[in-house]
Amino acid sequence: MSEAEMLAYPEDSNAAEFEDRLLLAERKSSEINQAVLEPMFRSGWKFWLLVAFLGALVLWGLYAWGYLIYWGMGTAGINRPVYWGFFIATFVFWVGISHAGTMISAVLRLLKADWRRPITRGAEAMTAFALMMAGLFPFIHLGRVWKFYWMLPYPNNRLMWPNFQSPLMWDMVAIFTYLIGSTLYLYLALIPDLAMARDHTSKWRQKLYRILSLGWRGTEAEWHKLHRALSIFSIAIIPIFLSVHSIVSWDFAVTIQPRWHSTIFAPYFVVGAIYSGLAALATILVIVRKGMRLQEFLRTEHFNALGKLVMVAGMAWTYFWFAGFIVEWYGNEPVIRELIREEVSGKLAPLFYLQMTANLVPIVLLVFKKVRTTPWMLLLATLLVNVGMFTERVLIVVGSLQRNFMPFNWGDYSPSWVEVSIVVMTFAGFALLYTLFSRIFPYVPVWEIKEGRLRYTVRRIGRLLVPTAAEIE
Amino acid sequence: MIMTEKTISLVALFDESTATAKAIDELHSLGIPDDKMVVMTDVPYPERALGRTREWLTLPYIVMAGAVVGLLIGLFLSAITPHLYRLDVGGHPPVGFPPAAVITFVFTMMAIIVSTFLGVLWELDFPSFGPAPYHKAVTDGKLGVFIEYPAELDAKVNQVLERNQADYVGEPEMISL
Repeated sequence: MSEAEMLAYPEDSNAAEFEDRLLLAERKSSEINQAVLEPMFRSGWKFWLLVAFLGALVLWGLYAWGYLIYWGMGTAGINRPVYWGFFIATFVFWVGISHAGTMISAVLRLLKADWRRPITRGAEAMTAFALMMAGLFPFIHLGRVWKFYWMLPYPNNRLMWPNFQSPLMWDMVAIFTYLIGSTLYLYLALIPDLAMARDHTSKWRQKLYRILSLGWRGTEAEWHKLHRALSIFSIAIIPIFLSVHSIVSWDFAVTIQPRWHSTIFAPYFVVGAIYSGLAALATILVIVRKGMRLQEFLRTEHFNALGKLVMVAGMAWTYFWFAGFIVEWYGNEPVIRELIREEVSGKLAPLFYLQMTANLVPIVLLVFKKVRTTPWMLLLATLLVNVGMFTERVLIVVGSLQRNFMPFNWGDYSPSWVEVSIVVMTFAGFALLYTLFSRIFPYVPVWEIKEGRLRYTVRRIGRLLVPTAAEIE
Repeated sequence: MIMTEKTISLVALFDESTATAKAIDELHSLGIPDDKMVVMTDVPYPERALGRTREWLTLPYIVMAGAVVGLLIGLFLSAITPHLYRLDVGGHPPVGFPPAAVITFVFTMMAIIVSTFLGVLWELDFPSFGPAPYHKAVTDGKLGVFIEYPAELDAKVNQVLERNQADYVGEPEMISL
């Protein structure tokens, strides 16, 4: 808008309203580069203390895993009938966490939602690292982990072949596919920013970025091809992300166990995954924003939008949970009735009420804009969601096995120190990978933000100034 | 400027896209073809925004071929190999449609993802670490135009670049990327 136009309406110029819009912020291209690169080089004693702490937890977990391998699965708390315990509950939890990356990045990219731009990389990295943690559990649960190659299809003298009718086989293939897809998706979108980092760094960083940027120059042809590839990725990865958690749910649903044998399990798992994944992303963004001082890029507008998504996902989760629960309750089948009694007033009651409180309270809290836009409040609300979702996974896995369809075979379960240590190892491992990633690679997708700035301008409509997006993608 | 007997190579840096597009149009009118110009930016501009022709992509065909290969691998594993290594479980037939559909779907999607990645690398001719005409100011927001043209056009090309406010005209940084 020209200066003359501004002067024509000095009394009602509302340009200040848009000062918190990242894509309208006044910044030169080189300043944006520096603002993203500078936090990567800042690693004071607090950072190294955090790395050391997380590293120590990982080492302890590896010791516990070694102990499990040496002494056998008997050192875990799992037993008959609870043959799946903390390990599988955590596996499901991590697969769930991995869902927000795709949700944010692919779905919002296809919908051209501009607020996604500064948070896509954080979300994609979360997906990749969460899947790495999830992928450990099938190996851990094998016990004799060195025999993992028996699951691979290759001609052998023992005439053994993986059973492709088994959901566990579908699981392995689906998670491997999702891990490959999300890692390549993360990497592909990272290439232009690696080239930018290559041009602004020296020594080992420059060598690393030079190799990883593969010779990117930012030519028109390169951008055109990258855009097309990212569009194909965005479309292809959505059915993959839906199928992965559906397949995980079928691990349970195709067995004849109370509660598990349900047609609603696949969408219920998918919705739960989106809920916990989005909440985890919000938690991480608040922490990274503070830790890396990225307030300029991760702004109120992003937390507000993300908070709304978490709230909607929470409502959908509640609906699916209730749709499953009411049918079970109304059926009044004796074993299911016992399972519900165990949850509502039995040994599982503390977990059940924790689950319900931690999953439902944040939905109410997130109705308020103040909660969505105040980082520490959003942090608490979203942390609560993941406490609830982890508890839900434990209840699903352990509850149905404790109260199965053969009452003479009912039992109890409590996790051993080995299981707890290994589960903690995956949380620490995830945090460690994420922390290191944020210091080695540009956490904020610089080129996507610059592209968004190209799209956005302020336009006068009547007496108002209105942010306007151009159709250029 | 890099001068051979007959051609000159240079890089011009611009601040602004409209001036860049205008300069490219004028360079075209001097008879410099599109394949003798490379435009480099730090942000993806819409196709043809800078006056260039749309490029043909083989990527969608590579992806489709990948999908067919993935489908065939999935079908082979889920529908054929169970007959080779027969394992009867729970009264199910050796090959059931639902499990075969799951495996075939996942392998198809995996092949789509992998072929998209390999296809785009192939199309981009990546990795390419050798010396290439480039200027580091591109990632700081400048629009770089690398031009190769016959030596006799030198004066006219420089006039065009000057007229369109190129703020740097000079030798390309032939750097190893």
